[in-house]
Amino acid sequence: MSNSSTVSSTSIWTGGRSPFNVSYGKLMMWIFLLSDAFTFSSLLVGYGAIRFSYAGSTTPWPDPATVFNHFPFAHGLHLPLLFVSLMTLILIISSVTMVLAVEAGHRNSKSEVSKYMFLTILGGAAFLGCQAWEWTQFIHEGGRLDSNLFGFTEAAHEHAKHLKLFDSVHWTDADKISGPVPFASLFFIVTGFHGFHVFSGVVINIIIWINVMRGTYERRGHYEMVEKVGLYWHFVDLVWVFVFTFYYLI
Amino acid sequence: MSNNHTHTEGEYIPETYIPHAESHGTGSLWRTFWILLGITIVDFIIYFAFGASMARNIVFIAFGIIKAILIVGIFMHLNYEAKFLRWMIVLPAVIFLSYLVCFLLIEGNYVSLEKYF
Repeated sequence: MSNSSTVSSTSIWTGGRSPFNVSYGKLMMWIFLLSDAFTFSSLLVGYGAIRFSYAGSTTPWPDPATVFNHFPFAHGLHLPLLFVSLMTLILIISSVTMVLAVEAGHRNSKSEVSKYMFLTILGGAAFLGCQAWEWTQFIHEGGRLDSNLFGFTEAAHEHAKHLKLFDSVHWTDADKISGPVPFASLFFIVTGFHGFHVFSGVVINIIIWINVMRGTYERRGHYEMVEKVGLYWHFVDLVWVFVFTFYYLI
Repeated sequence: MSNNHTHTEGEYIPETYIPHAESHGTGSLWRTFWILLGITIVDFIIYFAFGASMARNIVFIAFGIIKAILIVGIFMHLNYEAKFLRWMIVLPAVIFLSYLVCFLLIEGNYVSLEKYF
């Protein structure tokens, strides 16, 4: 505002203005997101440490491509990575509609903000639906918090034979129970923690959307609340980039 | 608390101060979207074109970091924020993350949790 133009840059810390030139609420949202980034990075680094500890083990870490290889209405087909890529696409698109809502808010266009907020909510709900479907598949096939039926897959057995660990034994379904438990528990914890962020993001988005339609922010004269919830929503997208990279790609 | 802000115009109340926000247009937003989409498609192609290897993992992580910079910089608007805010957010994250990742790379070798599970 006019503050920044009248005060020289040397007096930025002498008080009387925000040195960060943002509102209090937005600053606090940034600090919250920073702390949340620490939480998620700790989870992912913990995931990396545990996965790394199974390298060269007789119960190797399952290849995610052999576990998450389903797609709706394509039973029995081996389609790794396709479904999570679709989920990634949905989240990126909902991120764009969110940022378009923020941009429309800068122009004080109530109808456009509410339209893009609605599309963002739809995207978030679609993502949650996809995740629910994927969890259902995983649980249906034996994934549990305290057990993992995907440890000793056929591919892993081939690998073990190659290492001369089991030269004459054939792979059977019974071998499936010997997988590393953390594979399943970390899947539920990491994607569940992210999914809960998406869920709370959708709930907050709905609250803000109702406020937009009731004209709360129009009366207030600015759409800063949309910016704050937008920051949270993009952070959820940001976390998914790394969950996608570390859980499915690597 | 006395209010001695003699060098500012108007009244500054931290809890209610809202800087004026301006639209930068939608061009950079859509460009960012296409780049993010493109990187994700390249991820997808690399995943099927090359077998699992350290080089492939490094490419995936590098792409992830590029996507993160685009999301934080453009979508979360951090590129356009004040210099002090940018550093206050970026520096702690970079320092803490490199600390965690270095510990993982250096000490992860010695961890074998196998016997516990």
